[in-house]
Amino acid sequence: MKLFIKTLVLVLVLTACTQDDNTTLMAYNNPEITLEIPTDFPELNDAVYNNTPTEYGVALGEKLFFDTRLSADNSISCSSCHIQESAFADHNPKAIGIEGRIGLRNAPPVQNMAFMQVYNWDGNKLQLEDQPLVPIITHEEMDSSILEVMEKLEEDEAYIELFNLAFEGEGITADGIYNSIAQFEYTLISANSKYDKVKRNEGATFTASEAQGYAIFQDKCSSCHSTELFTDQSYRNIGFPINPNTEETGRARITGLAEDYMRFRVPSLRNIEHTTPYGSFGQFTTLEALLDYLDSGVLEADNLDPILKDNNNRIPLTAQEKTDLIAFMKTLSDVEFLGLND
Amino acid sequence: MKHLKNYILLTAIVLGFMSCSSDDSNPVANNVTLEFTNTFGDTPITLGAANATEATVNTSDAGQVHHFEELKYVISNIRLIKADGTEIPYNVNDLDNGATVINQANTETLSYVLSDIPTGDYTEIKFGLGVRSDLNTLDQVSFPAFYENAGSNETAMHWEWGTGYRFTKIEGFYDTDNKELSFHSGSTLAEDEDGNYIQGVDAYRDVSLSLSTTAVVGSNAPRIAIKADFDYLLSGNSHTITLVTTDDISNNATPSAHTATEMMKFVDNIGGNGSDDTSGMFSILAVEN
Repeated sequence: MKLFIKTLVLVLVLTACTQDDNTTLMAYNNPEITLEIPTDFPELNDAVYNNTPTEYGVALGEKLFFDTRLSADNSISCSSCHIQESAFADHNPKAIGIEGRIGLRNAPPVQNMAFMQVYNWDGNKLQLEDQPLVPIITHEEMDSSILEVMEKLEEDEAYIELFNLAFEGEGITADGIYNSIAQFEYTLISANSKYDKVKRNEGATFTASEAQGYAIFQDKCSSCHSTELFTDQSYRNIGFPINPNTEETGRARITGLAEDYMRFRVPSLRNIEHTTPYGSFGQFTTLEALLDYLDSGVLEADNLDPILKDNNNRIPLTAQEKTDLIAFMKTLSDVEFLGLND
Repeated sequence: MKHLKNYILLTAIVLGFMSCSSDDSNPVANNVTLEFTNTFGDTPITLGAANATEATVNTSDAGQVHHFEELKYVISNIRLIKADGTEIPYNVNDLDNGATVINQANTETLSYVLSDIPTGDYTEIKFGLGVRSDLNTLDQVSFPAFYENAGSNETAMHWEWGTGYRFTKIEGFYDTDNKELSFHSGSTLAEDEDGNYIQGVDAYRDVSLSLSTTAVVGSNAPRIAIKADFDYLLSGNSHTITLVTTDDISNNATPSAHTATEMMKFVDNIGGNGSDDTSGMFSILAVEN
């Protein structure tokens, strides 16, 4: 009798399972988000096509981006160092993690990532999806682990639902975390600055100083700060003051090539007014100081960029030229993107 | 009903014993234990702080005295090769059950037991110094045990910025004034969206060693003693390295921890150059059946 009941229960359980399986086949309505590619922008990183932003994917990524539970002591989130008003960078010379721990480099802005082919100061990542794990586990940043993060998120019903909606019922997964954060970041596109509006003939016009600055920029800066991203994404040693941290070797840390020693990826100049300080470890607190340095002469190095080498290790600029250049660079500020409009 | 149950249980137990006893007489598999001895030449290494008198001191070909305070490396991708050429992979795609961190400061880690190796005569062993690129992603979800072990404070073999493992971690001192020696190796490869590695260096090295005596797995559980001679670090087959403190990275190897520009010289010395030198600092001390 007992056995019979047990068997009966077993059969019922199995039947129940089959029914459950059927019900999980429900469709998830999660429309894709079309990224609007601004005029004259370069092509998307191919990785975007493998991780196309969706409505819930982006919503999940945004929630995670602002969630302090990604750090070991729940004190910092991605948005602690990537602040919208600063073009998703911050104002510390070097990034500050949990317990005030100071990192190696300046936190880079998170903007127009979908169009970048290489990420970070040394280009160590080629796909945005590979990046979120780095701050999560790094001692000087969040000092957590992906399983620790997943455990915390599992306790939150809202997350479980959002993961299911974003990734067709897969629940909370490590890839879901990486992919959704990347999806959110892909949507952070800055292309509505005064510069853009002038270029697109939307009624804006440069002042005399801005126009003069733009001419100087095209003459002396645009060979590196090229394309509508204002970076050619190459790695160059431009003789900036060297980070005293012995871990810093620039791009050479990745390639192992002596020629890449202290080379860094050319940074974008978009929203530059709002991303002070400047340089790989925040060497310069103002654009004036940075231009003064380039004008007065940079550090000599075997692999110093040829453009500087051919010009006596400097980019000569008069006081007026500096003023005009800075006026132009400020036209790259996108108040809408920065959330600073009215 | 109860009696029937007991009867079935008894039958199961008897059958269980029978299968055990048949195993004992003609086992299909047994353990193989790898024992690592870290040396300078023929002298097993004793670690020590800067002025420790007990520390084993080595002199490089360039004439620099040096000793270690910390010595760790990852062994993975282990394969045993039978006399007929058959290769028996040992959990080569599973870091939790097929990879280990050898830590000179922790005697337990110097032995690594390979369980359930099929009965046979083995004449060669292959293993990796470091972690194969396809597994070197700090994937805690797939391999939580290895991740935990490699990342513990005692071990510290996570290379966070490269989202990979440290393959080797050596801290120590060199020259008579005990300047800091620090060497970490790891891969810096990065994939494009198609999974191709299009930049970075691969510090993983595949090592292969012929066994001096055939390891006979069956009723015996052989022990393979492997020597890792860290004299090779500075005085290897590929490079004779002079440690310098200068900032000039082109001036030979610096003891800087993360100078990828110089890292590969050390890697080639201890793990072999990946082409004609496939043993690096490793050799077989003995095989005991």
